[in-house]
Amino acid sequence: MSKKPVTQPALHKVIMVGSGGVGKSALTLQFMYDEFVEDYEPTKADSYRKKILLDGEEVQIDILDTAGQEDYAAIRDNYFRSGEGFLCIFSITEDESFQATQDFREQILRVKNDENIPFLLVGNKCDLEERRKVTYQEASDRAKQWGVTYVETSAKTREHVDKVFFDLMREIRARKMEENKTNNGRGKDKNKRKKIKCVIL
Amino acid sequence: MPPPPVVTGLSPIEGPPGTRIIIRGENFGTKSSDLIGLKICGCDCLLSAEWKSPNKIIARSGPGKGKGDVIVTTRLNGVGTCNVSFKGYHETIGPMKESAVWVEEAPLFVWGRHSLSPGSYQQEDPLGLSVEGNDKKFPEDDLLELFPNATGDISSENFSACWFLLENHHCTSFNDLQAGLLHLRRKVEGQKEGQLSFLKANVGSVMDQADTIATLMDKFEKDASVYGSESTRKLEKSIKESEREARKLFDDVLTRRDRAEKTRNALNVLARFRFLFCLPCVIDRNIRKGEYDIVINDYTRVKNLFNKSEVPVFKTALSEIEKRVVGLQKMLHDKLQKMPIPIEEQKRLIRYLVNLDAPYEPAWDAIRSYSNYINLRFKQCYEEHKAGENAVAEELCKMKNSQSASKYSKFNSSYDSLNAVPENILFVEDLCQLLSELFPDLWKLGQSYFTGELHANVEVGHQANFKNIVMTIIDLFCKTLRSAVIPHTLDKNADKALVGAWTIPDIDIIALWLPVCLRYIRSTYKILIKLDLPSEALDIISTFILDFKLYCMSVLLKQTTEQVRQLSSQENWKIEFAGTHSGITELPIEFEELVQTVIRLIKESVLTTEQREISLLENANAQKELDKQVETLLSSFYSVLKSLAFQDDESGYNEDHSPVVSQLIGTPITAYRNHDANNHIPIWECRLLTTLSNCQYTNNTVLVHISRSFTMNGYSLSKLAIENVKTKFTSLEKALLDAYLEHKSDPLVGTIEPSMYLGRFDWDTNNIPSDIRPYAKECINNLIHVHSEVYTVSPSLVESVLPQVVQTIAEELFRLMSCVKKFSLAGIQQARADICALQEILLPYSTPKAKTFFNDALDIIPSLEKSSSTIIEDILKQVRVRMRLQILCLSSSALNGPVIT
Ligand SMILES: Nc1nc2c(ncn2[C@@H]2O[C@H](COP(=O)(O)OP(=O)(O)O)[C@@H](O)[C@H]2O)c(=O)[nH]1
Ligand SMILES: [Mg+2]
Repeated sequence: MSKKPVTQPALHKVIMVGSGGVGKSALTLQFMYDEFVEDYEPTKADSYRKKILLDGEEVQIDILDTAGQEDYAAIRDNYFRSGEGFLCIFSITEDESFQATQDFREQILRVKNDENIPFLLVGNKCDLEERRKVTYQEASDRAKQWGVTYVETSAKTREHVDKVFFDLMREIRARKMEENKTNNGRGKDKNKRKKIKCVIL
Repeated sequence: MPPPPVVTGLSPIEGPPGTRIIIRGENFGTKSSDLIGLKICGCDCLLSAEWKSPNKIIARSGPGKGKGDVIVTTRLNGVGTCNVSFKGYHETIGPMKESAVWVEEAPLFVWGRHSLSPGSYQQEDPLGLSVEGNDKKFPEDDLLELFPNATGDISSENFSACWFLLENHHCTSFNDLQAGLLHLRRKVEGQKEGQLSFLKANVGSVMDQADTIATLMDKFEKDASVYGSESTRKLEKSIKESEREARKLFDDVLTRRDRAEKTRNALNVLARFRFLFCLPCVIDRNIRKGEYDIVINDYTRVKNLFNKSEVPVFKTALSEIEKRVVGLQKMLHDKLQKMPIPIEEQKRLIRYLVNLDAPYEPAWDAIRSYSNYINLRFKQCYEEHKAGENAVAEELCKMKNSQSASKYSKFNSSYDSLNAVPENILFVEDLCQLLSELFPDLWKLGQSYFTGELHANVEVGHQANFKNIVMTIIDLFCKTLRSAVIPHTLDKNADKALVGAWTIPDIDIIALWLPVCLRYIRSTYKILIKLDLPSEALDIISTFILDFKLYCMSVLLKQTTEQVRQLSSQENWKIEFAGTHSGITELPIEFEELVQTVIRLIKESVLTTEQREISLLENANAQKELDKQVETLLSSFYSVLKSLAFQDDESGYNEDHSPVVSQLIGTPITAYRNHDANNHIPIWECRLLTTLSNCQYTNNTVLVHISRSFTMNGYSLSKLAIENVKTKFTSLEKALLDAYLEHKSDPLVGTIEPSMYLGRFDWDTNNIPSDIRPYAKECINNLIHVHSEVYTVSPSLVESVLPQVVQTIAEELFRLMSCVKKFSLAGIQQARADICALQEILLPYSTPKAKTFFNDALDIIPSLEKSSSTIIEDILKQVRVRMRLQILCLSSSALNGPVIT
């Protein structure tokens, strides 16, 4: 890290979360390389980073594509810590994946300890309308409850793919600007205090 | 330079050595051979890399440890950059765990212990602080660097508190740490003061322990009494025995484990060197698909990697590969020499062979086989056309044999053979085309070879050999062409056998095609010039072209000469009165046209000197030939005219040459002797005159035109040639004139004497003269006849013919007068009247000599008294009136225009 020059454009770290097979990798690859992968190959942890133009400003996006599978859940927490924004993805064709978003949301909030963390609820595979199991209403209700945006995407047709990434990055950027202000004004963040566990004999 | 490759995505981002990684990014090249380098965490992983697309590569990580970049290098885009990083870590590898890499035994121990360290103290922190939320781990490498030989492991002898704190609490606040210290102290205090209270609290168990020790003591003593004091030895023995037994028991398992390990190692080797072991098959497949570039790439790679290897299995694999490559080399080499083959293909094959380190000289072999191919094609071309020629000859022969059977077929065939292009001309055309098509490639191939473009080694001496090949081909080309069109220029003994002979068609036919031939040869020559051949080679051709042009010129002139000769049969004796040169037939004009045409033709085809040609007329031989041929050509017309005028008798034309003059003696005069009315050939005198006129016209006008035309068209004709011809024509003119005069004036003059003394006339007469005598009238009439004859043919001839005749008449009169022995008075009067009348009437055509003769004649006649001469004046007056028409005929004004009668 110390080797990199200071003039690097702002770096926004995005983490893809969601159950296995909902299309996290597919969305990422579609966004990064305009390609759609048909075969399903479980992800462990993939990392992508490139320069893009966000509202005319050159920024770098760093995408961490994570495992949705239980086997890798142990390493998940570590990754979550570094994230600045989250795309929480489920497949509209699979109710189970929608239910799982609840767990992911809780886990993120626990690790980040921040209710307003940039976060988008994403219903993927919207091209498979005929196999829809999760209604739009259901999903957007949940999003409202969490206070986040709900977007339906298709990694296959590229519908709203750019939108979810760009919207999330805008949130991250707004969040950082806000943070800068408070940092300058009040110094250290209270949230980061350590709790002391008292051991009594 | 195109943008460097950049890696923007990795899947996954960490893993042990051998992890399959999908590398994504940009500018990874456009084909798999573009990829020339791949480093993952500093380790070269190119061997395992599999190029998928310009933005995707799949590879396996190497033994690199820790976070690092993934750097792609391509042929065109150079060394790339990396946005994301890969973290390599080493896992504990045991006999039961699979690993993609070769496992060295020694470091295993270190990893094993290393992996044990975290975790064991995780549940309880000695400071009693929560480690949850310690999101930023302190890098282990840095710790190792800061505290060499130390560790954060509390149970270790080398425990370092700083390490521990940095590792676990570098984010903990100072207050928290103070609280932790307090906690730790409390714990330690508790342990110190607690020894006594510890015993108190556990009295029961301490007593139990004392009892147990006592029981143990009892048992031991009992045992000693039962088994003796050497119990430990026995124990040792049985332990050893059981150890042996155990060994026996496990030996099997252990050897199996060893074998399994070996097998796994072998499998690992196979996996790791899959590239090497699969290569023979891959090579076979790629050879089948014609992907030689890939084969070359693989072969170079495998040679770089394993050539120095001493491992027998590698050597075997390598020799297997070698065998295929040798086969491929041979196949490519054969392909290279199989003609015809486009030069690009040939160059590609040469490149393959060079890249494969083939034990051939591919470039040189290609050149050699190419030159052989050219020779072969030359030969084929020759044989083809030779066969064609033979076929035509046979056809003609057959036609001749069946001539009697069908008259028309013969006509047709000869007609065909006239129109058909002669086989040797076709051959020239094809040969030129062959050379223009094939030779440039050979030359370019040679150039590429010698400039090193083919990356083939240039053997010493090949440069000279190549030059030799080029010269031989060009030489053969020229000689073959020579044999086809100008065999006479070949060295008879040496070359004729080499290139075969042709039957050269008749001059009429060949002349038609020579300019075409010249065009072919020139266009081929131009192509060769563009190639920048050595001038020695080009000189061979330019010499050939010079010879050919010379031949061309000579043939064209000969052909024209032949055509001129034919003119004699075309004379129709129709006299044209057009223009100033009236009185000529079409012949001289046709002659001029023929000559002008050939001048133009030669000028257009042969005389023009194109790029890098030797000018024809600067060559002395050519100049000589030109002079000679032109002289022959022009002289041929002389012969034509001559034969037309004089040699008709020989052509079976019987005509009496008896003079056509009127004679008082008797036979009636017919202006035209009776000859066949159907025959349009006019009488001999007329032909003489016409030819004379033609001859004059040719000499004075046509030759001037032609001579001017030669100069204007750039011929440097020697003066002598034209002069010689002119002399010939002048002499012909004179001969014709003499002949005519001989035939005209001799009889005319000859009649004077008999007519004068007709009826025994004597100048000593007594008859008083009343008119001039009939012989004088007859003389005038005959002259008028000649005049009309000449005038009909050409008015301009009148002046050259009549004075001659008049002169002989005057001479004859003088002779006759001087022979008179005696004049009577009347005789004197008569004679003076006669001579004076003739003198006066013939005056327009009198030469000074004639005038002298008339005066001399009058002087010989004795003079008269004034009174006696009045009668002469009277007679002359009468004559002037009576012979008005005759006088008009002969008056000089008649020269200026046709006489209207
Ligand atoms: N029809 C359709 N298939 C999708 C879409 N997104 C992903 N897939 C498919 O779903 C499978 C799992 O995708 P993947 O991205 O690997 O899921 P991940 O485990 O969440 O990364 C793959 O076979 C994809 O082709 C989508 O939007 N529409
Ligand atoms: Mg995935």
